[in-house]
Amino acid sequence: MADVEIRGLTKVFPGGVHALDGLNLHIEDGEFFALLGPSGCGKTTLLRTIAGLEASTSGQVFIGGRDVTRLPPSARDVGMVFQDYALYPHMTVADNIGYPLKIRRVAKAERRRTAESVGGSLQIQALLDRRPGQLSGGQQQRVALARVIAYRPRVFLFDEPLSNLDARMRLEARTFLKQLQRELGITTIYVTHDQAEALAMADRMAVMEKGHIRQLDTPTACFRRSANLFVAGFIGSTPMNLLPATVVDGSLEVAGCRLPIPDAARPHVTSAEKVILGARPEYMTLSVAEVPGALTGTVRILENLGVDTLVTVDVGELRVQATVPDESMPTPGDRVWLTPDPRHVLLYRQDDGEQVSARRQAEDMSAEAPPAVDRTAR
Amino acid sequence: MNRGTRATMRLHEPSDGAALVRRLLSRLGFYLFAVVVGAYFAVPMLWLVFAPFDAHPTLAAVPPSAFTMGNFWDLLKDPYALPSLLNSILLAVATMALVVALAAPAAYALSRVRIPGRDLLLYVLLLFSSVVTGTAAMVPLFLLVFELGLINTYLGVVLVLAGGLIPAGIFILKDFMDSMPRSYEESARVFGASSLQILRDIVLPYARPGLAVIAVWVIVNVWSNFLIPFILLRSPSSQPAAVVVYNFYTEGGQADLRLISAFGLLYSIPVVVMYLFVNRRYGFRFYGGLKG
Repeated sequence: MADVEIRGLTKVFPGGVHALDGLNLHIEDGEFFALLGPSGCGKTTLLRTIAGLEASTSGQVFIGGRDVTRLPPSARDVGMVFQDYALYPHMTVADNIGYPLKIRRVAKAERRRTAESVGGSLQIQALLDRRPGQLSGGQQQRVALARVIAYRPRVFLFDEPLSNLDARMRLEARTFLKQLQRELGITTIYVTHDQAEALAMADRMAVMEKGHIRQLDTPTACFRRSANLFVAGFIGSTPMNLLPATVVDGSLEVAGCRLPIPDAARPHVTSAEKVILGARPEYMTLSVAEVPGALTGTVRILENLGVDTLVTVDVGELRVQATVPDESMPTPGDRVWLTPDPRHVLLYRQDDGEQVSARRQAEDMSAEAPPAVDRTAR
Repeated sequence: MNRGTRATMRLHEPSDGAALVRRLLSRLGFYLFAVVVGAYFAVPMLWLVFAPFDAHPTLAAVPPSAFTMGNFWDLLKDPYALPSLLNSILLAVATMALVVALAAPAAYALSRVRIPGRDLLLYVLLLFSSVVTGTAAMVPLFLLVFELGLINTYLGVVLVLAGGLIPAGIFILKDFMDSMPRSYEESARVFGASSLQILRDIVLPYARPGLAVIAVWVIVNVWSNFLIPFILLRSPSSQPAAVVVYNFYTEGGQADLRLISAFGLLYSIPVVVMYLFVNRRYGFRFYGGLKG
């Protein structure tokens, strides 16, 4: 078991693309850590640099307190599961699982025993003599997991291991993977572009954009108190409402309606300042009767999400969304009032997209100077 | 033709009828062409099957007028005939082993390492390889092998043949290795495998169909090569079959078709057998791409 520390890690690809830009990050021993971001944000490059498959331009990587920056992948004691699983098509499942041990010169009988015991714990013991080409996607994924477990590394590195599965399998594999990580207690770094996956599985996560970490926190905090407009827009199954607002007479004017300023943000705004109000559809209350201090408009579209319905309301020029439980369903054309839960309203500066309460800083989003998330907003 | 015109009259539609005739004629022309081309290739094969068993073979591909196995018995009496087949096998297998052993790691390296001018290097190699074993380079090749003291040795022949075949071998194998996902090697590297272990455990098994293609291709090439062994080997007892077949003349200086046909049949059997065996065992997969 080991912790992982990243210090000032920079990776510049030939051609001048900054895939990683001076990253600092500390991942605790036994933690399930997710790297989340859109494609091209540098999350996979970071994972590959930790694995030793990419050399960093500058900066250091520590695993278990040891500087591994200049060490080859084999000396870092990390196990990696690739997006395509990288199972060897010419080997049986048992040989695939036993391959890391073969490299360590473990005898054949012992390798077979390990494959059987690890395969047994992942419910693939019946498949040991098949070849990867004969397995379904979910089974292949388990074989890849079995192989990396048989290797017994100090850190697991997962590169979008669920993205090749269909939606249903992905949910099962998610639960399974998290449970497995809890049981083994091995430090896990998990790369994904799926925010739901990161929210569901991670102990902590880093939301990345263009080689920078934009927020480093628990999934709950990233969801409830998104540090900036990027994180606010990226996280959440239904997009957060981001509405231009103006501070007028101690309240917020949004599309001709007046909303109270959240207490936590009050000291950080000045009169007539233009801000962006962020409110998740999940934290909006919809009412068909008039409510003071609410947004009002006409219901445009209803989308069924299963338990809830996503209601899109035209408020002046703006479109505002709210999730509504089945029983209080409006119909399109109704006039409704939307009240954002004041505890979950976030205000962002228009210029740099950070929360109004955040310190002005020179583009430093690193872990050592964490983005000033408003801790009092709760 | 006749049927075509009758059909036209029945249809009472002259334009359609003309199209039908044109179609039938083009069909007929195509079949005729296919038959001629097919016969062009089939007749020598027929001759190879018939002539060895004919007591008095001619150059015509006709069934034997007097069936005999005598041609083969006479062939056995020739001191060089059967040993030359063994010589051919030896040369072919040795060259094949050398080409595969050298082309596989070279192809792997060229497939994975990015160096400027890599593709140019490959094409230049490919271009020169046809020169190396071509007639143009015979004199310098002879002198080179002579200086090395390898005249009349198999080593000399194998080196020259392999030198000519390796570039094309690299070219074909590189395509197979290019098609292998990088994650295969990367995962092995993370598990601690060295480059040689990766080559042995993962790359070579993955490229096995490509290796089979190269092996067969090298053997067929060496098997049929006349010029190189003819020039570099002096003693008749060490000549391969492709050279020995030119020795079958009657006392009168005429080509001895009895021996040539019987030897020709024996000479072709190993290649056919090998092809069938390899195809069954490994299966030729050309989708790795022969874009050369």
